[in-house]
Order: sequence, then structure tokens, then C-alpha cells
Amino acid sequence: MALREYERDIRGCSRCSICKWVPFAQIKSVDCATVCPSISRYNFHSYSGGGRLILGLSLLEDRVELTEEVADIIYKCVMCGACEVSCKIYRDDIDVLRVIEELRFACVENGMMLPEHMMMVDAMKQEDNVFGEPKSARGDWAKDLGLKDINKEKADVLFHAGCRLSYDEGLRGVVRGAASILSDAGVDLGIAGADEACCGGRAFEVGYRGELEKYAEDFASRVKASGCSKLVTPCSDCYGAFKQLYPMVGKELGVEVLHVVEYVEMLMGQGRIRPTVKVPLKVTYHDPCHLGRRGEPYREWEGEDKLKRPSAFKMSGTRGVYDAPREILSRLPAVELVEMERIREYAWCCGAGGGVMEAYPEFNSWSANERVDEALATGAQAIVTACPWCERSFTDALEERDEDLEVLDLMELLARSLGSEPDA
Amino acid sequence: MLDDAVYREFEEVVGPDNISREPAILDGYTYQIVFNPTPSPWLNRPAAVALPCSTEEVQGIVKVCNRHHVRFKAHSTGWGVFNAPGYEDMIILDLRRMNRILQIDENNMFALVEPYITCNQLQAEAMKKGLNCHIIGAGPNTSVLASCTSVGGVGWTGISMGYNCRNVLGVEWVLPTGEVVRLGSPGSGDGWFSGDGPGPSLRGIMRGLFGAMGGLGVFTRVAVKLFNWPGPKRIDARGLMFDIKAEVPENIKLYILLFPDMQRFLDATYDLGDAEIGWIHSRNPAGMLFTFLFPGLMRETAGRPAMRSAMESIKHMVSFGIAASSPGELAYQEKVVREVIARNDGVLIDMGKLPQFESFMLFGLMRSTLSAFVFRAGGNFASSLVGEETTDSGAPQVDLGVRIKQEYIDKGALIDDMADTVWGSIYENNLFAHYESLMTFDSRDPRQQEWIKVDEEVVDELIDRKWGIGIGLSGAGTVVHKKFGPHMCNYDKWQRRIKKALDPEGLSDPIGYTEPGD
Amino acid sequence: MMIEELSGIVGADRVSKEKASLEAYASDNSFTEGCAPSAIVSPVNAEQVVEIINLAAREKAGLVPSSSAPPRFRGDTVPEREDSVVVDLTGMDRIIKINRRNKVALIEPGVTFGRLAREVAKEGLKVLMPLLPREGKSVVGSYLEREPILIPKYHWDVTDPLLCAEVIFGTGDMFRTGSAAGPGDLEDQWASERYQKNPMGPGQSDLIRVVQGARGTVGLVTWASVRLEPLPSASRTFIVAADSFGELLGLVYSMLRRKLGEEFLVLNGTDLAAIVGGDREEIEELKGRLPPWSLIYRVAGFKYFPSDRVSYQVNDIGDLAGAEGLEPCRSLAGVSEEDIGGVLDGTSGEPYWKFGYLGGFADIFLIATLEMVPSFLELMEEEAKKAEYPSGNIGMYVQPIQQGRSCHVEFTLYYDEGDEGERQKVRGLCDSAIRRLMDSGGFFSRPFGPWCELPFDRCPDTAMLLGKIGKMLDPDGILNPGKIPYRVV
Repeated sequence: MALREYERDIRGCSRCSICKWVPFAQIKSVDCATVCPSISRYNFHSYSGGGRLILGLSLLEDRVELTEEVADIIYKCVMCGACEVSCKIYRDDIDVLRVIEELRFACVENGMMLPEHMMMVDAMKQEDNVFGEPKSARGDWAKDLGLKDINKEKADVLFHAGCRLSYDEGLRGVVRGAASILSDAGVDLGIAGADEACCGGRAFEVGYRGELEKYAEDFASRVKASGCSKLVTPCSDCYGAFKQLYPMVGKELGVEVLHVVEYVEMLMGQGRIRPTVKVPLKVTYHDPCHLGRRGEPYREWEGEDKLKRPSAFKMSGTRGVYDAPREILSRLPAVELVEMERIREYAWCCGAGGGVMEAYPEFNSWSANERVDEALATGAQAIVTACPWCERSFTDALEERDEDLEVLDLMELLARSLGSEPDA
Repeated sequence: MLDDAVYREFEEVVGPDNISREPAILDGYTYQIVFNPTPSPWLNRPAAVALPCSTEEVQGIVKVCNRHHVRFKAHSTGWGVFNAPGYEDMIILDLRRMNRILQIDENNMFALVEPYITCNQLQAEAMKKGLNCHIIGAGPNTSVLASCTSVGGVGWTGISMGYNCRNVLGVEWVLPTGEVVRLGSPGSGDGWFSGDGPGPSLRGIMRGLFGAMGGLGVFTRVAVKLFNWPGPKRIDARGLMFDIKAEVPENIKLYILLFPDMQRFLDATYDLGDAEIGWIHSRNPAGMLFTFLFPGLMRETAGRPAMRSAMESIKHMVSFGIAASSPGELAYQEKVVREVIARNDGVLIDMGKLPQFESFMLFGLMRSTLSAFVFRAGGNFASSLVGEETTDSGAPQVDLGVRIKQEYIDKGALIDDMADTVWGSIYENNLFAHYESLMTFDSRDPRQQEWIKVDEEVVDELIDRKWGIGIGLSGAGTVVHKKFGPHMCNYDKWQRRIKKALDPEGLSDPIGYTEPGD
Repeated sequence: MMIEELSGIVGADRVSKEKASLEAYASDNSFTEGCAPSAIVSPVNAEQVVEIINLAAREKAGLVPSSSAPPRFRGDTVPEREDSVVVDLTGMDRIIKINRRNKVALIEPGVTFGRLAREVAKEGLKVLMPLLPREGKSVVGSYLEREPILIPKYHWDVTDPLLCAEVIFGTGDMFRTGSAAGPGDLEDQWASERYQKNPMGPGQSDLIRVVQGARGTVGLVTWASVRLEPLPSASRTFIVAADSFGELLGLVYSMLRRKLGEEFLVLNGTDLAAIVGGDREEIEELKGRLPPWSLIYRVAGFKYFPSDRVSYQVNDIGDLAGAEGLEPCRSLAGVSEEDIGGVLDGTSGEPYWKFGYLGGFADIFLIATLEMVPSFLELMEEEAKKAEYPSGNIGMYVQPIQQGRSCHVEFTLYYDEGDEGERQKVRGLCDSAIRRLMDSGGFFSRPFGPWCELPFDRCPDTAMLLGKIGKMLDPDGILNPGKIPYRVV
């Protein structure tokens, strides 16, 4: 198995458990000191980043077999990458997340997939989306917005909605708002409509590397065919796939890839978006993993001894997108940002990633509730994020609770501040 | 293998979600590379791992162990070979669910914590109340309780906050036979402010220079001393490590002190101790810092005479910090440190003049975030030396440690870090000093499997010269006792007797302590 | 135990069966009931102590260690068994080593505070003193009893200022604690600049902690290293007066937090008068003049810029005191800085200062956190009232220990030594007050007098564990039997 390629990384683990903690200088309290949802929820060491390295070695040395029980451990991980950030502060020679991915590839290779993940991948194969919703309905969200159809006419910017925003009707305001904001700012925007396909990122995370490669191949050719100069997405999951996973499997899209918050920030800087309506709201911002540490651009390094790897090639999480959303928030009149303790590179995950939302909804909910608690502790009236998967997780978590906390995508909040909140 | 019926008894104590005998889970408690003298990362695989969440559950497990003669060992954060099971068929108690700070007594300056509270967490909470805790050299990710009850206790703030063995107040202890004892005042229900008495202090049975490394039962609560923190409730920082930017409070000062030679380093250390100033004091040779912070650069340059010469000339380097409660105190301490440096021909570098470096070093020293850099050069490290006597007595030991280490560097068995990576810290205004010679290596490299030989050579020479004891061979356990015992009043005999008195069946993993005996 | 055998060990002139000498040990200035020993043996070295212990083990005789000159208090040296032999260690009085650079002295148990203070002062060092020990009080004895020292900032851990020790356990084994254990003997250690400074270990136990507080029941100490500190180059002494202890609490806590001040203690008017006053009349008069409570402290400077250190501390303490509405004074109600200096540095004159007021006294002492003290004071006053004892005659001394994590609280009940009725009244008051103080959270960490069993009733699990350890270190139960209740498991 390819896991073998990471044996040196694995054998480097000192079992220090730094992977379980927020980077030390950023620990601000006893309650918000941990960073890994998996070890925090399941407690046995094997559920931590380091524990997963050890598990990898056990498999490589045939100390354990890849059983259903082992697969269960492997899959109870949101793949948020927080362990990688904390470990990388000290270690140049261990790529924790790559090992975690390899463990999942091994599960797929050995037929140890989870039924929920198989259903998801089957749905992708049939309908090009993770939900198994009709492919034909993919572009329905854009009805009446007057956006260009990239299949029929050229546009400077290709707007990729992603599976969640295309089909989650509860989040319709987010995607319509984002597209409208750009459109209203004069951006030459086009969408692929029913021909838009899944990015493949979620298949990759549950172990189907080949599926990602397939989608990446397909996506790259579509982008090329569209002639656009920029690819913009409001979905952090997709963003992470484009920025980190596609280069990892050797696929470059050949255009500038931006999350909508990056693009909006740029447009604000150019004066093309001017929020003027006061929205008196105390908000806290949740950094989506796939926009932040897992949205960090991947750069392949060919060397063998990672101790010699230049830092620019290290996936440390620091090159993710953290400032743009905060910059936007700072420009919204009357909006006050109060930060949670775990932010930026060391943000706590909503629990939706790594196939957890599909296979372990209770774990997803637990992780989201932890984050909601942290948000409530700031005194914020709203938790703002920039990823539909996060928003869905928090919204669902709050449905079970009697808390006065609004869940908003940053584009929804911006739309309010522009006085143009669209109907969903 | 555990008998199914016995396993079920454990399960009844902690619940099925909190115990496992899944081999893949167990291996997480079998693997240890730090201070592991064997070429394999695997030690003994336990028969089960349990996650108790309370003293009652710990006690319940220990009682089952006693009923069925099952060996056990508890750990908190679980880092290092001493956390590994000494035997197969044992049960490991991973105490990570016991993770509360139960009390911070602001006036009386102590905290009551459970095993899985780390130094980092306690410091963050203590600072909110104007207090601080001694963070051990192993780093902020370690358990406060473990360094108080079961392992060591050294660290860079020893000058002002002591050694954690001596920072212990009340203790809650599940004995190897299952009884729960609260040492000192909590034993009589009088609060946690004292761990001694009535009459003799059983803290002396609980641990010594080292703790019993899991060999004397399970410690479930400890009250630990906190110390004055005149800084803000929280120092907000941007960044993770090298990129950290923080506003260093005006009443906190950090310095690099450089001395031309060992003698003047020693003299200055005595002066600083006598003057009773300082918050942080740590000998950090320049070569050590370079190796940890710039391992790639050191790999390329360590062999070059110019680099060696440069590092050699600044190897007597001390990180020194002041945390003052008033402008008057700050002015006084600054004046003294400058005078001490002047009188001892030293050089003082005020980190405040280098803001980015100061931000980085503030967390590095205050929170011991520098510790884990020891892994950067090669992925693994080990220690030798540790005389732990007077500051003067360490000087020849440093030379000894460096000399022996250099031989192994020369043959490629250790990474070249200029050999003098002896970090040292003083305790209680220089009551005694701790010197620890670090060696870095890559345990994945077949040529670099000999750190234990360095340890052995250093220890043997320390004993032969009657210079000190050394930390060698992981600090504890029967192998160490055999080496040290005859030279140290046969202390190992008393440990065996203690073990017999408290754990006649030897169920609390004796590997890091001792077997019961007469 | 056979006189001949003891004489064979130490020489006939160092064994006494003289009746008056024996009777002198049958009681002390506490309510402890005991008996006279059968002999007094005065060894001069550790080897003799080993032999004496081995002999006692064979004969199953009790050994009562004694290292201070009389008068004696608290019952530690009153034999409970008639076959006991007092091991008089006052003759082992060598100051073996003083090391200025490392601020340490190695001394035998017979070395007294007065003598050691004089000797180390020649090196610019000071001994860490308890409150006015009697001139003949053994330094090692005092530290082994956990008698609190006056400078809380130097009381890092409960063992301080005791560092390492040579101990002969009840098994007859000689043992050296801390870094003194080895390798090498003392000469070897000194040759490599090791001065028995690290109190921890050896290995994974700290048997000195078990020896300390054991009232001589697990081992006899034949030498110990003790922590010394620099003599100040400049100092000033202050008193802060208050009507109640509670008024001082905020200042006390804030000074301790910052390790401000050197010597640092709180006395009530009665104790302060008893200390600085001369005879009964003068003390009575002073009691009327002195404030109900006084915080006494000294600020000092050392080698570097001593006046700067004094100055910033005076200013900082002044600010803290001002915030509490308090005012530090150099002298008070006729008590001068010099008077106070004598309290902080000296040993007691003759007679021992607690005898000066009414001739007799009884102590009650415990440890607690500082904020608990006011409730204890109230409780004592209630009990005194019940016992028809004048509460104004209660001396009170509060000494922060472990750098302020807790404090030693000492009540001294002065009484007319000639009045047996008064004595019995005080005994009754002690009995009721001790029980109530225990029930109210006072921790009697140092069992004393006839009440030495009581603290163990409150912690049966600790007592059980202690029983195992006592059996291990003194399997024949020969060392000071009865002073610590090692309960059979």
C-alpha cells in the first residue's frame, strides 16, 4: 500500500500528543485547548493524529488487520487538518494528514468502505453530486438571477456553487446572495448550471482517490473550455479540493481559484462593493477548515528527506484564507466581530468533513455543538461562516437547542449590509 | 489476554465505551520511541485500555485488578517510554477523561487539578487570576499532576517557581491495593493547602527526585502551588510559533546573557541567585538553539570550523527573564542584572530591542513552547547528566557530557549539534541546579541507535569520579537502581520495601519503579 | 536495657542513671503524661547511634531521642514506656561544614540556633530562625519538628530549611537523604563542589519527609544540611497595627504573593507584649498600650544595591498598605525597631520568653489557610469564655508558611504556674478548643501533647498507610513509642 511511502513519517512520531492541542501560544483557556474532534470525542489515543500514525505502523507491520473495527477508527475523523497544523509547528518530517488519507485509501482498496460512503460515491457516479439529487436540478438555485450559462456563452468568472449549495434549499439565500453580490458588482459571471459537477473532494476524503482524479480531470477540461480567467466558489469544501487536492493528484486548473470571500474582499478594495446599511450585530467568525488550513495551496516537493524540505512546501496551514473574511466583516457597518478562542489555523471543526456527516451524524452534531458552545461564550448573536457544510452543521445543531444564535454565511450578512438580501 | 469475565468486570466499572481490547487501540499504548533504548518502537502490548473518569472508577479498576491479579499502570498525557506497559496482559488506565481544574485558590496560590490538565491549560487559567505555574522542561503539553506526583519537575522557571516535586500540596492517591488516601490536609477534610501530615509526610513515600513512574498506584488529584504573575490576564498573540507577534508587557523583560567562560557563567549565576531576582533562568547554549531552530542550516554547517568557532564563542548563553510587580521592582531587577553582567564580563542582549524575537521567546520561555523543538533535528532525542546539586558541581559534568557525546557525534551515531547542548536551570534562587545534556538523533537511522550507550558512559563516569548520579537510563527502574543503589546508600532496598508495604503483589506496574522485596 | 551494654557502646561516662536526670525527662512543660526513662545515653557519633538502636531492637526497649537543652515542650521527649532510654544527642554538636557560596551548613543535632547563627554570620550568612527559640534549642530538632521559620519566602516547601540528613532508621540502617546519599562520602562530595543541597531523593522516594514530623519515631538524625541565606547589607523593620487580624489579611496576602519583605509574622498584643516586655507588670502594661494585632516585617537589601532594594520594597509595601487603609510604622507604642529586630534575629533570653508573663503556658498550634484565621480566633474566644479563662491572656501568633499557601497558627494560653487549678482549667480549655478547631477545619499537622492521637482519627486512610511505613522503618516499634500512632493494619 502507498501507506508504506509514509513509513518514515510514521516512525518519526514521538507520541508527544501535540496533535491533540491548539498550538501552545494560542491556548487561552482550559475548555478550548483541544483541537482534534476525534480524540476529544472518542478518547483512545488511536483517534488522534499521532494515534493514527501508530495505527498505520501497526498495519504496515501486520500487527493488526484492517477489520471493520479498524476502519471504524479510521473513519471517525473529520480530516480537519488541525493535527497537522499543531504537529508541523515542530516537525518538518511528518505529514500527518497524508497518512490519514492513506489509511482511507487502504480501506477502499481493501473493501472496508462504510455503507454511507459507498452510497455517497454511488450517488456521485450517477448524478454528479454527493446527495444523489437529480443532476438536471443542479442549476435551479440560479433561477431568475440572469446569470450567464457558461456552456452557452463566455464569462470572465466561472461561479461554482458546489453540491451543498446547489441542493440544500435551506441555504439557497447563501448561493443566490453570493452570485448576486458579484453580479451587482459588475463581475462578468457565469455558471455551468445543470452541467456543474461535484468537485470530488468528499470522495477523496473517504478514500476514493480515483474518484477525485476523475472529477479533477473532468473539471479541468470544463474550466479550460469555458475560457474563464477565474474560478470562484462560495463553498469552502470545493475550494479546498481545488487548491489542495487537485494539485496533489497532479491536476492544475490553469485559472485563478478564489473563494468568494477572497474575491469580494478584492472587489471591496476596488470600491466595487460598498456595504452601507447598518446591521447592528455582534458576530463571531468560524473559519471553515477547507478555506483555512485545508485550503492552503499544495506544492509538490520531490525530495526524499523531509527534514530538508523547504518550509514553502510544508503544509502548515498558515497560507490558508483567514484575513479576507475578517476584512469583509470589518467593513460592515455596525457589525462587531468577537473572536472565539480557536480560530484561523487552529479553528475547531464543525464536524462535517471526512465523511463524518454522512456516516457518523452523531459525531458531526457533537463537534458542531462544541463549536456552538464556544461561539455562545463570546456573547455573539450570530456565528458567521463561509462554508455551507459548516452552516448546515451549526443550523442543525441549534435546532436541537434553545439558544439565541443566528447562523449566517458571510455572504448573507454582506447582502444585508448591502440592503439587497435576496429571497431564498 | 484477559479472561472475558474479568474484562466484563472492568467494563462494568467504566462502561463499554470506555474500555477496549481492540488490538489497533492497544497499539496506541504500545508504541513509544522517546527514551526507548530498544531498536523497536513497540513495547509490551497491554491486554486492555480503560478510560476512567473519576477517582471512584480508578479505584474500581484497581480493585478488580487486585481481585484477579492483573497488573495495571496509569498515565495522563502518555509521552515517553515510562508510560508503556512493563508487561503484557496488563491494563492501562488512560486518565484523559479526568480533565478538570477543580479549584484555583487565588489568595492561597494553589490549584487543584485532575491528571489530564496540562501545564498549558493551567497557566492560561491561572494567569486570569494573576498567578502562574511552573511548566516543566518537557513542555506545556504535559500533565501538571504527573510532574508533581509521578515523574520529574524541572523547568526554566525553576529560579522563581521551584521544582514540581516541591510544589505539591494535597494529593489524592489510589493505592495499589485500591484504598484511596488523601495526603495532608484533605485527608482530614480540611482543604487542599497541605500535603504533609499529620505527623510524617507520606509525600516522601509517594515520590522522590523522580516519581514512581506508575509503580505505586494512581494519583487522581493534586493541589499544586501557583506563583505570582504580574502580567496581564492573557497575552494575545498572532501566529503560531516563529511568526508570533505579541505585545510583551512593560513589566516583563527578557534577556540573552552571554559569558566568556564557564567560571563567569557560574559566578554570575550565584550572584543572581543571591540577589533573589529573576523569573526565568536557563542555560541554553547557542549551538543547542541553532540546532533546534535551524536544523537544516546546522546540518549543512555544523562541520565547518567557522560555525563551530562562532558557536563555541557564545556557548555560555543564558535566557533570563524578569517579571516585576511594580516599576520599582522592575528598575531594581534590571539594575542588578546589568551590574551582575558587568562584573562578570558578560554581554547582555535586551530582547525588547528585537521585538519579533522577543515575541517568539516570550512564549518559548514563559510557556516552554521551545521544548518540542528538540525533535526537529532528527525526530528523536534523549538526555544524560542531571547532577542536580550545586550550580558549581555541574561545570565539570557539562564537560564530561560534552566529551562523551562528541565521540558519538564523530562516528555518526548522533546528530552534530556542537555537542554542548547542555541546558541547565536553577531552582529556588539557586538552591540547586539541573543540567541536562540533550542529544538529538534519528531513530529511523540504523546508525543512530546508541544513545543509551552515551547515557551509560556518562553515568559510569559520574559514579566512578563520584561526581553525581546522572539521569541516565530513563531515570528509573530496576536497571538504574542496580547501577546507582550501591553508590547511594542502597536506596533501592528501601524502594523495594516501600513497594512491598504498599503493593505486595506488585500489581502497579513495577517496571519504572521496582519489584517488591526486602 | 543493660547499662553495661550501653556503656560498652559509648563509654560509662556517657550513660546516666542518675535519678534527677531521669526524672527531668518524666514530664515537660506540656500536659503529656509519661514516665522517667531507665537511662540516658549520650552517643557522640553515628556509629554509636547505630549500635544503640540495634541494642534496643534486641532488647525491645524504647529509645527517646532528645537533641535540645531543657526546658522542653510538647511532649516529644517524655517517655511513654518505662524501659525507654533517652538518647541525648546534645553532645553531637559539631558544625561540620559551612559553605558561603552555596549558603549551606552541615551540622549535628546538638548544634543550637544561637551558636550556629554566630558562626555563619562570620561568613555573611544567616540561619533561618523560628520565633525566638530558646538558646539551647537544636536547629536540626526544630526543623525536624517543622517549626515554622520567620521568613516565609524561604519556606519553599514544608521541609525547608532542612535539606539532606544522615538518618539511622529503627532497623539500624544508616541512610543519607537527598543528594547527600552519594556517590561518595562527604569528602568526595565536597571535592566535587557538592554540598548536600538537593533535598530530594535519592531515587524515587524522599525519606527525609517521613523522618520530618515523625517526632523521632522512624529514625534518628545524626547530621543534617540546612539552608542558609545571605545576611542583609541593609534593612528596615516595620510594624503595621490593626484592631483585628482581618484588617491585615489583604496586606498579608498581597505581600506574600509578591514575596515582599523578609521576616514576616503577625502577633497579637499579648504575644508581642510577652516578647518585648520584661516582667509580668511590664507585659500587662504593654498589653494595654499595644495594638490588638501587629504585622511585623523586615525589608532588606543584599550584595547588589541594597538600599535600592529596601527602597522599592518600602514603597511597594507602603502602596499596598495604603490601599488597605493601613500604615507601616518604624516603632509603635514604645516598641522600637531595635526591640523588633531582637524578635526577628535572636534566640530567647532566659527564662524562655513564654515563661515571662505568668510563669506557665500551654500552646495550641495548627495550620490553615490565612483566611480561616479569624474564625479560629473567634472560636478560641468562645471557648475561653466557656472555660472562664480571660481571653486577653491568649497569645496569638500567625506565621505564613510555604510562601503563604498556609499559615501556622499558634495560641499560647498563659497561666499562673503556681496555680494548679488554673493549670487544669487551661488543660480543659486546650482539650475543648483543640477538638473544636479540628472540627472547624484546623489541620493539626504536627500532633503534640496528649492530643497526638486525635488528628489521626480524622484520616483513617492516612493512618493506615502510615502504619505500613512505620512498620517498615521501625519494625520493632522502638523509636519514641507512642508519639505517632502507627496503627496496625
